[in-house]
This record gives sequence, C-alpha cells and structure tokens, in this order.
Amino acid sequence: MKFLVNPNKFNEIADYIFKPILILSIVLFALGLLFALYLSPNDYQQGSTVRIMYVHVPSAWLSLLTYAVMSLYSIAALAFRIPFGYIFNTAVAPIGAVFTLICIISGSLWGKPMWGTWWVWDARLTSVAILFIIYLIIIFMNLSFENRVVREKVVAIFILVGSVNLPIIKFSVDWWNTLHQPATISKLSKPSIDPTMLTPLIIMTLAFMMIGLAISILRIKTEIISRKSNIS
Amino acid sequence: MKFLNKIIYFFYREYKLNLSGIQDILTNIIFFFVSIFIFIFSIGPDKETISLIGVGIVWTLLLLSSTLSLRKFYQEDFENGNLLVMHLNGFSYGFIAILKTLSNMIFVQIPFLLSIPIACILLNISNEKLIYVFTSFTLGSLILSCLGSISSSMNLMNQRNYLLGSVIVMIFSVPIIIFSVGIINLEESFNSLVNILFGILLIVFAINPWASGLCLKLSLENN
Repeated sequence: MKFLVNPNKFNEIADYIFKPILILSIVLFALGLLFALYLSPNDYQQGSTVRIMYVHVPSAWLSLLTYAVMSLYSIAALAFRIPFGYIFNTAVAPIGAVFTLICIISGSLWGKPMWGTWWVWDARLTSVAILFIIYLIIIFMNLSFENRVVREKVVAIFILVGSVNLPIIKFSVDWWNTLHQPATISKLSKPSIDPTMLTPLIIMTLAFMMIGLAISILRIKTEIISRKSNIS
Repeated sequence: MKFLNKIIYFFYREYKLNLSGIQDILTNIIFFFVSIFIFIFSIGPDKETISLIGVGIVWTLLLLSSTLSLRKFYQEDFENGNLLVMHLNGFSYGFIAILKTLSNMIFVQIPFLLSIPIACILLNISNEKLIYVFTSFTLGSLILSCLGSISSSMNLMNQRNYLLGSVIVMIFSVPIIIFSVGIINLEESFNSLVNILFGILLIVFAINPWASGLCLKLSLENN
C-alpha cells in the first residue's frame, strides 16, 4: 500500500492501472446509461424524472467521499509529515467541486418538476451549497498564496476545519424537517429501493468513481511533475 | 506572577494601540449605521416590514462590519515583528491566539454591543426583544472573534487575495446566524438555542488556538 503515500511508487502503479481504469470507466458508464435509460422501470409517482437519480446520487456521494479522503490525507500530511497529502489535496479539490456542482445542478433540475421549484432553503441543499463554496475557497487558496510551504499547510488546516460540514450534510435530513427525502440506502438496514433501480444506481456510482479516479490519477501525476520541476 | 504581568502588559499595549487608532473602530460603527440606513432606504420605511426583518439585518451587518477589521487582527503585528517578540517572551503561539481573540472581543466587538440598542430603535425592534439580541450577540461575538482569528492567521502570507479571509469567516458563521436569529424569533425555545450557541462557542474556542497557532507558526517560520 506504499503507493498511497509515496509519489514515486504512485507513479509506477498509476502507469499500470490508468488504462484499465479508463476502459473500465467507459464500459461501466455505457452499461450504466443503458440500465438507467432503458432497462430500469419508471417510478409510479415520478415517472421518467426518477432517472435523474442515477446522476444525482452518485455525484452527491462522490462529492462527500472526495472531501472525506481529502481530510484524511490532510491529517496524514499534517500529523505524519507525508507530503503526498498536499499533492493529493491540490490535485483533487477541483474534481470534488465539479462533482458537487453536478449534484446541485441535477438536483435542481429534478426539483423543478417534483417540488415545483428550482431551489428551496432547505438544510440539505444549503449545506451542500456550503460544501461547494468550501471547495471553491480551497481552489482559490491554492491559487493565491505565493509561498508553497505555507500554502499547502494552510489549505490542509482549512480542509480539516471545514470537515465539520460533512456530518451536517449527512445527518441534515434526519435532524431537521426537510423537503429532501432521508437516506434510502444505508449500511444498517435493508435498502428501501427496488433492486431494478438499485442495480443501475450502483453501476453508475462505480462508473463515476472510475472516472473520478482516472482524472485524479492524471492530475496527481501532473502535480508531481510540476513539483519536481519546481514550477510553483 | 511574572507571566501574569506579561499578560497585563499585553492588554495595556492593545489598549494603547486601539486608543490611538480609535478612528478605525469608529469608522466600523459608522459603516454599521450607514448600512442600516441603506437597508431602510432600499426596503422602504414601512414599520411592520422593518420590524419583521430587523433582527436579520442587524445580524448580517454586524457580521459584515466585524469582517471589515479582519486585516488588522494579526497583520500589523506580523509585519512589524511584534508577534515574534511576544513568542520570544514566552507566549506559545496558541496562547497568543487566545489573547488576541480576547482583545479583539473587548476592543472591536464591545463597541458594536454598545451600539445595538440604537440600531434596535432605528429598526423598530421592541424592547422585550432587546435582551435576546444582547444574549445572542454576546455569545456570537466571541464565536466571530475566534473565526476571525482562524481566518486572518490563515491569510497572513496571502498577498494577492485579501477578500478570502472575509469569505472564510462568513461561510463558517452560517450556523451562528441561523441559531442566533432563531433565538429572537422563537422565544419559547430560548434556552435550547442558547445552549446550542454555547456549544458552538466551546467547539470554536477549542479549535481556535490549535488552528491559529499552527498558522502563525507557519507564517513566522516561512516569512
């Protein structure tokens, strides 16, 4: 598992696994779209709009997952002095921001036909919007410091302070009365979703994961090269 | 005893500095009142509407005007080397952060606290509600000072993007705004909301020395 913390090992492993991941992501995405658009049934209440779920839910999960992994890497980088964490933070923040943006946009496209409005000031929606702004602040911080050593550590501290938002997002549907529905799929109980809808959802999640992984491998490699050549 | 003397001297120095720069604090308060005027001009002088949204306006403007003085928090002491002198005198970075936060609370936030009654008169907020505004703002101003300490210490070395510090404070003050405006509008759940605010204050007060101290150390070492 050394490739998770060592840039050289990471480069070696990444060369091996990049092409399989890319092929896997294309295959999974095609399969997922096939399932999501043709093979899954219409919802008895929502009709065809339920298919937005197959984009909305995976991107929401991945936006949270990206932030969680970033905060883990920040702890590793600050506490155990692993510089790969800083590389990871710089490289992955825009990917998380894009996932959050996809989640927000698809959510409001779904909200218009179902709730009758593009946006409500609801706990879940607001906290996700705050997550998006936190991602943007991370990106801007990466752009605006001149000293690299200060920049990466300050960004790591900011990520850790901002991670208080994650449990708020997760539990916002349980703590407050919201328009957004509570979690359908959880570890502790049987999912309350039909298997014909669960299958495309899982396939799409895997496809999104693979796409995110492929892009992040590219970005991390670029970041390593730019650090080695001391560009910034 | 020697340590206590140092702390007393620290506050004496802050008092002298703030007294000589009193026009800065006063300008902040003038900004606060002018923004209230602007708000009232843009909404219209209807009394009922104003008293309905008055508390929200007061809180928003308090937040905005306390972010105005963020640059002053550490920047001057950082540039003329006083932070380093304090550290060499036996204050740890975290302790400097705590002292600075308290001094910001005393010299920047308390003037706002004193000007709240006048703002309440202007915005047609009833006298019974004044005590709620006071309670929420005394707790909230400490939280704002802690957040300001964190964000301004993060941006010490940031020479390009000055607004980022204010954005950081404002994004983290969202829960404070929610709960402290809730105190005033939902009087029956006063105790529970005050408890929540107090809990947030304790969390932020615990994070503050750690985060700001680390940022101060980083900036001083790499300057």
